[in-house]
Amino acid sequence: MTTLLGAELLKLRTTRTFVTLVALALGLSLLVVVLTLLLADEMAPDQLRNLFTADFTGLFILLLGVIGMAGEWRHKTITGTVLAAPDRLRLLTAKALSYAAAGAVLSFIVTVSIMLVGSVILSLSGDDGVPFSDLLDVLWRNLLVAALLGALGVTIGALVRNQIVAIVGLLILSFVLEPALYGLVPEVGRFSPLLGAPSAISDVPPFDGDSDELLAPVIGVLVMLGWIGLFFAAAGARLRRGDLV
Amino acid sequence: MAPVEIHNLSKRFGHVVAVKDLSFDIEAGRVTGFLGPNGAGKSTTLRALLGLVRPTAGTATFGGRNYEELEQPSTQVGAVLEDTAFHPGRTARNHLRVLAQTGEHPPQRVDDVLAQVGLTEAADRRAGGFSMGMRQRLAIAGALLGDPEVLILDEPTNGLDPPGIRWMRDMVREQAGRGRAVLISSHLLAEVAQSVDDVVVIAGGELRAQGTLEHVLGGDDVPVTVVRAQDNARLAKALTSTGHAVQPDGDGLVVVGSTPEQVGVVAGDAGIYLVGLAQRSRSLEQAFFELTADGKSL
Repeated sequence: MTTLLGAELLKLRTTRTFVTLVALALGLSLLVVVLTLLLADEMAPDQLRNLFTADFTGLFILLLGVIGMAGEWRHKTITGTVLAAPDRLRLLTAKALSYAAAGAVLSFIVTVSIMLVGSVILSLSGDDGVPFSDLLDVLWRNLLVAALLGALGVTIGALVRNQIVAIVGLLILSFVLEPALYGLVPEVGRFSPLLGAPSAISDVPPFDGDSDELLAPVIGVLVMLGWIGLFFAAAGARLRRGDLV
Repeated sequence: MAPVEIHNLSKRFGHVVAVKDLSFDIEAGRVTGFLGPNGAGKSTTLRALLGLVRPTAGTATFGGRNYEELEQPSTQVGAVLEDTAFHPGRTARNHLRVLAQTGEHPPQRVDDVLAQVGLTEAADRRAGGFSMGMRQRLAIAGALLGDPEVLILDEPTNGLDPPGIRWMRDMVREQAGRGRAVLISSHLLAEVAQSVDDVVVIAGGELRAQGTLEHVLGGDDVPVTVVRAQDNARLAKALTSTGHAVQPDGDGLVVVGSTPEQVGVVAGDAGIYLVGLAQRSRSLEQAFFELTADGKSL
């Protein structure tokens, strides 16, 4: 498994996709933080803390996972990949773990950059910064959400296989369906994989809503693992049974 | 136990039977040509052998074990399939580094195989910019990484220029010379005839013949007669009814396996006037065509 994991991480590092997505996630996240801090009149400590969780890593690593897995079919490299690693479930596991690791790394880079830049801006404007303990709390939550979304992206990519369909579907789910579900039926929406459960882990309610609507962070992690397990089982069954022609 | 054994292999895709009850072995130290026209079932057979498609019935194994059961499979089997593809944004060297990491091969093997296939100069170029021939060489480099006991090449000469084809022939002969079992599939006999020892011929998913090249395809051993009659249709009927194999050929007929004398006797007995009768030498290509034509199993 270590060997396969190493190979998948090497794959990630040897194309421009990962670097491009890191740059995009970092750029967008920094833009939001800098503009908010410069333009907002005054922010409460909770709002500041929440701002530092507002990185775009989750979405990007989710898409990266989809691209990484569905791309095997798009570029027709799946045959060579399976020949090199014939145990298809081990292959899927290695891919999911490698994108979880990549998500954690991406989130670390983005979150720490946001925190550094945000803290400098707050310091220059004479405002109180966010306590270090709060920053650490934000950091591990962000890393965990990104890791889980990276693995989820891989399993969705393996199930759907068509890169465009998977990406468009996830964007619709992420920006339309899940927010609508959360807004209309929060007791159901809080279990959703892209908004409800990640918000619970981050401990930041969507739409500046009520924290009481969120699941407990531990439950959020379990719900995310449940979604990953569900997609993994479906994708694994399809991958294992299907012919690669 | 032969390095590759295929026993009663069948594969059906929906209502389409791609491979039907196919059995053959290949031997170590020999190059075996796996021949058949497009759509004969060659690629499906190779994919079943490599565990990429699930056989409907039968087995396809390496030394008695399925591909998935092999430990470090790339040290035992190297394969280049017809549609081998690469991530267009990854360099040749990085593509091979990934394969070396997956197969647990020493990193220096990457440079070794790049040199072996003549891609050292292009090693740091992205595979998306490679010509067809360079892509074939890169695919072969990947197959050679683990210095495998069995080499499987599906239509390996596709896209290669004449020097590339010669290189391929030399490479497979060299591998066989080192005791490796080499299986090359092709729909073009001429491209592999100079490098194979044995042939397995399939058509319509079924085995048509297996053995040495000379034994199976025969060359000039089998007589072929070209004949023209005033009434070709009547002559064809008369020849067929007396057990001769007849094919239309332009404004005449070709009779495979019969001498001009035998054809002349049949025409005379049937009272058919002939306007042309000659013996034609039978090329390997023609023999291959006859063997793989519908309904012409030997």
